[in-house]
Amino acid sequence: MAEQEAGSTTFQVKVGPAENPVTLEVHPAAGDLRPWDLDTRLRRVKSGHPRLEAPLKVTGQARYTYDVRLPGMLWAKMVRAPIPAGRIVRIDTAKAEQVTGVKAVWTTDAKLVRFAGQDIAAVAAVSQEIAEDAARLIEVQYDPTPFVTSLDEAMAPSAPLVFAEGQPPAPASAPRKGNVVGPLPPPTLGGARAGTRGDIEKGFAEADTIHEATYRLAVHTHAVLETHGVVAHWEGDQLTVYTSTQGVFMVRAALAEAFGLSRNKVRVISEHMGGGFGSKLYPSAVGSAFALVACRLARKTGAPVKLMLDRQEEQLCTGNAPGALMTVRLGAKRDGTLTAIHFRAHTEGGIGQSARTGGPAGNVYAQCPHVKLEEHDVFTNAGPTCALRAPGHPQGAFGLECAVDELAHRLDMDPLEFRRKNDTHPFRKTYYDVGAKAIGWERRNRVPGETPGPRKRGIGMAHGNWYVLVREAVAVEVRVHRDGSVELLHGAQDIGTGIRTALAMIAAEELGLRPADVTVHVGDTRFPPGPTSGGSVTTNSSGPAARLAAHEARTRIAELAAPLLKAPPEQLDFADGRIFVAADPGRSLTFREAAQKMPGEVIARLTDRKRQFEAVRQDLAATQFAEVEVDVETGVIRVLKMVGVSNCGIPINPLTAASQLIGAQIQGASWALFEHRTLDRNVGTMVNPNLEAYKLLGPADMFEAVPIFTDGPNAGNNTSATGMAEPVFVPTLAAVANAVYNATGVRLRQLPMTPDRVLAALAGAQRGTKS
Amino acid sequence: MPTRPPKKSQDSLSPTRRTFLKTVGVGAAAAGLVAPAPRPAEASILGPDAVPLPLRVNGVTQTVTVEPRVTLLRALRNHLGLTGAKEVCERGACGGCTVLFDGEPICSCLMLAVDAVGHEITTVEGLGTPEKLSPVQAAFVECDALQCGFCTPGFVVASTALLNKTPNPSLEEIKAGLAGNICRCGTYSRIFEAVQQAATRRG
Repeated sequence: MAEQEAGSTTFQVKVGPAENPVTLEVHPAAGDLRPWDLDTRLRRVKSGHPRLEAPLKVTGQARYTYDVRLPGMLWAKMVRAPIPAGRIVRIDTAKAEQVTGVKAVWTTDAKLVRFAGQDIAAVAAVSQEIAEDAARLIEVQYDPTPFVTSLDEAMAPSAPLVFAEGQPPAPASAPRKGNVVGPLPPPTLGGARAGTRGDIEKGFAEADTIHEATYRLAVHTHAVLETHGVVAHWEGDQLTVYTSTQGVFMVRAALAEAFGLSRNKVRVISEHMGGGFGSKLYPSAVGSAFALVACRLARKTGAPVKLMLDRQEEQLCTGNAPGALMTVRLGAKRDGTLTAIHFRAHTEGGIGQSARTGGPAGNVYAQCPHVKLEEHDVFTNAGPTCALRAPGHPQGAFGLECAVDELAHRLDMDPLEFRRKNDTHPFRKTYYDVGAKAIGWERRNRVPGETPGPRKRGIGMAHGNWYVLVREAVAVEVRVHRDGSVELLHGAQDIGTGIRTALAMIAAEELGLRPADVTVHVGDTRFPPGPTSGGSVTTNSSGPAARLAAHEARTRIAELAAPLLKAPPEQLDFADGRIFVAADPGRSLTFREAAQKMPGEVIARLTDRKRQFEAVRQDLAATQFAEVEVDVETGVIRVLKMVGVSNCGIPINPLTAASQLIGAQIQGASWALFEHRTLDRNVGTMVNPNLEAYKLLGPADMFEAVPIFTDGPNAGNNTSATGMAEPVFVPTLAAVANAVYNATGVRLRQLPMTPDRVLAALAGAQRGTKS
Repeated sequence: MPTRPPKKSQDSLSPTRRTFLKTVGVGAAAAGLVAPAPRPAEASILGPDAVPLPLRVNGVTQTVTVEPRVTLLRALRNHLGLTGAKEVCERGACGGCTVLFDGEPICSCLMLAVDAVGHEITTVEGLGTPEKLSPVQAAFVECDALQCGFCTPGFVVASTALLNKTPNPSLEEIKAGLAGNICRCGTYSRIFEAVQQAATRRG
């Protein structure tokens, strides 16, 4: 252990899996608190609590960006390129500008089009309908150029170049050939991330059995329900922007820079937002600059401007999770010991840099000595990719964990036992038994496909991984008013995970109140800084600061209560709205009575988060089990049940954490079975930029969802919580695919597993048997 | 599940959709829904300019002045300030804009405001308030049947309509009843629990 900084504190804490805990010595920064551990008696945290904003959301009162309406507000509508590649010859806005009610137009400075859906022009008008009419009247002349929209064609040496040689966005350190960039250098995000190691040839030489296969999957669009958009409002040189974002402070920094404003002149608000999943980690969106356009139109007209993308735009230019072509080669000894993992991938980035898919291959089987990752980006004339819920990892886990399943079968081993044998992860060790029991692992087909009849059932499983990521530069303010009411202020936005409620629960724990007694204000750059919510960082970045701020307020209240209770403040405890002598609970007063003793009107404590410290693990592990039914006559797959097992340290609010786990199962099953961005290869446009042909899993397709979090604080911060939204999503695709194999005895190596592909695979297997 | 709006009766206050479409012409998306019916002799022609339309929403009649091509959804949102119903897919594929039309769940993005004249519209705001939640709304809160909450108003209205018709639905009936609504965060199983809980409470 490195030498400790001056002023740090030392604690011994009981953490790790509850059934096999460890004593860990941790050294938090001076002033930080002893982390909650297995011995802590928690009264509010770790007990499920409905989200505090839910009554607003179920009554239609919650105000999203899409619902914002300001006096005198104009409506803006954008025009997007209908061709995938070409030169912009002329943009004529004359007809649009003549429409009564049109107040301003904007046109792009770009000379080239690289994907169908690129920003071209915009119009602001007095009504939504007039803006739409006028946008249709904008005439654009293009000079089309050759394009390529399919991954395979883009990889060919003769393919049209999406970017000329030397043009961004390829990283300078990666070799580039045509549209292919790579192998990519190791990623910088994710401190605990492992990758290439050992000697891959040696690893295969040591193997008794080698499995190699190629897996591929389609581009998945985020398809968030609230489209991207803003309302921009200038008052003099003060800019206020309402936006549907995962990071109000990130948006503020970008807008301040773009308009040459200091940050104190820009306010960004996201009170409620309708889903992001990684697509709202940009000032506008990865494939559009709509927020800047709206701000310019607002400045030009002197009126507030609302610019929300429509559904088609949303599906075209706001990012996607890349499709991938992955070749996985694994080596193992006869007893199932993994000796080598060689993972080669080409991911479909559109005009953006794609996500690396090698994370699971580099990290899930951490003790495998010989690993080689070769990751490549491939440019196509399509909307750019961006982060989606554990970027690259669901894809990579699909390749890796299907290959592991195939290797286990080749060795005639139970796929679960094969994984257990190659696993040393302390949290994951408990997942096997818990998950196997919940799914009924013993019910699986011993011989895949052995169920008689046309509707075949099967069970599969897969692992996924992610990393403990933290944003330390955050702060929380807690205010206790003279009347005993409490407010908590924090700028982070609630992206649907329930951060308001988690922060209220943490403050309530310290102050001995109910979560509903704490009014939480989030989603505004006027509040203390919060993290951009991406990578499963929010709860474990913001929570520890909330605990510290509440604790400091508690300390002050205890000082006020002490003379009344005739006991030193450090001997007082707080619970159920009362303050009492810990050793003699009968000597008590109410929180409100103590607050009324304050000299002024409010006790306010603004506290920075302290740095992260030692933890059991720096990575996150999740395992999903799936049961499916495959109709071999129609090719239709139904997911019947999914069991997800994960650990998130101390789950601050188990109710909302479990909801996120279920959501991950649904999004994963949806990608595995239905979701497929389809581009027309002849004209280069998206065929299904909507929600009826780009099919999402719906209520009629829903399965039995079982979310399980194992008990086990991780330490690392004073709440002992980690993130959880990403790792639980990672194994979902592979779990469903492995279940389909167990049901049918036929391996589908391509997602989504649509009925046509299922029937083709079954027919192919049958031909193979006959020949 | 929310359906396409019912066919208009011939004796209502407003002109048939066919009539004004002929007159003003609207986008292809709306035109696709038009039944090729002959124009009734007594029909009047409205628009293209804004016209006053008395809409009965949540038990109160208010007059909105909108162009005849404005959808019921946009009239509710942009002219009556009722922003609970959301425009998500814009074409009846997601149920985010579900409202009750004479008690039946419909996609308000597929109906013109002019066609809602003379009918009883109920939006999510009309079902309950944060202080006085309806049984369905209360169950959604308790079961955590929402995450980002953007689809929630549509699901609350569709669930209410389902329970009005089928007070004690089976799980399969709930799935069928909500099949026209989509949630991206993935709350379906929580929603099913909420509907079951509300059914028990209303029981």
